[in-house]
This record gives sequence, C-alpha cells and structure tokens, in this order.
Amino acid sequence: MADELKFPTNGARADRDSLDESLTALIRDAYAPPDGDVYWAGLEQRIMARVASETSADTAWWSVLAPWGRPALIAAAAIFAVAGVINQQLVDSDDQLAYESAFQSSTPEVVSASDEIISVERGTDGATISYFLSH
Amino acid sequence: MRIPDEERALAEAARAGDREAFAGLVRLHQRRAYLVARAIVTVHEDAEDAVQEGFVRAWQAIDRFDPSQGFAAWVNRIVANAALDITRRRKVRSTEELSDALRSPFRDPAEDAELKSRLAEALAQLPERARSVIVMHDIEGFTHVEIGEMLGIPGGTARSDLHHARQKLRTLLMDLRG
Repeated sequence: MADELKFPTNGARADRDSLDESLTALIRDAYAPPDGDVYWAGLEQRIMARVASETSADTAWWSVLAPWGRPALIAAAAIFAVAGVINQQLVDSDDQLAYESAFQSSTPEVVSASDEIISVERGTDGATISYFLSH
Repeated sequence: MRIPDEERALAEAARAGDREAFAGLVRLHQRRAYLVARAIVTVHEDAEDAVQEGFVRAWQAIDRFDPSQGFAAWVNRIVANAALDITRRRKVRSTEELSDALRSPFRDPAEDAELKSRLAEALAQLPERARSVIVMHDIEGFTHVEIGEMLGIPGGTARSDLHHARQKLRTLLMDLRG
C-alpha cells in the first residue's frame, strides 16, 4: 500500500512523504487568514496604536525626569564635593590623632612633666589628686 | 539573502525611531506573521493577539535588529515566541475547541462541513508541536530550518516531527473514513 492518504483524491506531491493535495487544501482552507484589506488595515491600526502607547509611555517616563536632570546632576556633584571635603578632614584628623598618640606613648617623660605642671598650678591642696592623675 | 530595497529602507528608518516606517513593515509582514501565529495557537483570536504582541516586542527591540538580515525571519521568530507564550497560558486541546477554532468566521460553515469536522478531529489528536510543524511546512511552505528557528528546536527535529505528524494524520483520517 502506498504511503499516501487518498483523501478525498490523489494529487501531485511536493515530496515523497507529503500529504495528499486535497488534504493539504483542506488544511490550508481551515487555517486561511482573514480575507479583505479592511481586516488587515484594522489589524495594522491596532498594532500601531499599541506601538504608539508604548512609545508615549517611554516618552512620558523620560519627560518626567528630563527637567530634573540638570539640577540633579548639580546637586549630586555638590554632595560629592562636600562628602570629599568632609572625608579629607576626617582623614587628617585621624592622622593627627594617630601622630599624637604615637608621640605621647613614645615620650612618657613629657607626659610626666605636663602632669607636674598641672599639679603645681593646682597648688598643694590638689597634690594628692595630682599624684593619682600622674600615676 | 537578498533583502528588498524597500524593506531595508523601512527597517533602517524604523531603527532610527520612525514609526511610519515601522507601520510599513507591519503592512508588509503581518499576513505572514499571522500564518505563523495561527499554526501555533490554532485559534484566530489568539493568533491576532500573538501578531500584535510580536510586533510590539519587535518595535521595542528594533535597535537590536540587523538590517542586513531579513525582517520577516526576525519578526516571525518574535511572533512565534509570542504565540508559544499564549499556548503555554491557554491550552486548546479538546476536539470541540479545535473544531470551533477551525470554523472561523471567514469561511462558509456549510462547505465541506463533514470533512472539516473529521480533519479538526484528527488535527486535535496531534501533539501541539507536530500540528504547528505540519501547518507551517505543508501549508505555509516554511523550511525545516525556519520552523526549527521559530519553534526553538533543531531543524532535524522539525523534519522528524513533520514525518511523524503526517503518518499519524494519515492513520487517523483513514480510521475516520473506516
């Protein structure tokens, strides 16, 4: 038996395995696109209406932000500059503290001398307190 | 591949943001895109939705389109993906639903009613992909490679699907004819 469907008639075949021409015609008819230019013009309009709404949605998004673009850039630059200055000051302060801390720990006699001065300035009444502060 | 000058010009203008040019591309390719979508989703309304969604996605991605390639192949892939998304959301499997789908308002309902009913019954029993492949190849004339690209499968798989789908359709219709 031939590998072919005779339904309803046998016709020419595009390739050895192809379906019968009449069956192909039936399927083609079942899947045929809508006929008439009016339908396709309408579909094109609906597609382009959606494209336009997508475009306007994009435009609206940018148009809301656009006026704020320049001020936002200036503000961001100012904030960045201020942050940089503050950061530099903090670094300098840390360096100073680190320097002082290192200097004090390496010269205990200076600390003792300053404590002596404090105790002399406070007089003999504070001698006991000065003693505890300096030790 | 030879790209018609008109299409190339429209595609380049559309890439530059010209909506009128994109409308020209829609006009040129919407019928073919509809056939691709219809082969996948079966139902006319879903095919129409897939075409609309596909062209909107194409517009959104137009800056990624290479005008030296064919616009039809590019947009048909996008429409096919939109149609596959719809089939994943809406499964039309029953014979009744497919029969209704094939009784579209664009044809005479009295014409070949029995044959159409039997055909619809047979097509409904094919797996979705096999049905899409047989319609795309035997009705729309796409190659196995083109079908593979649109459905996201190798060309050889499309060829194999086509062979099995034809065999099954023959068997089903012969059984129906008893």
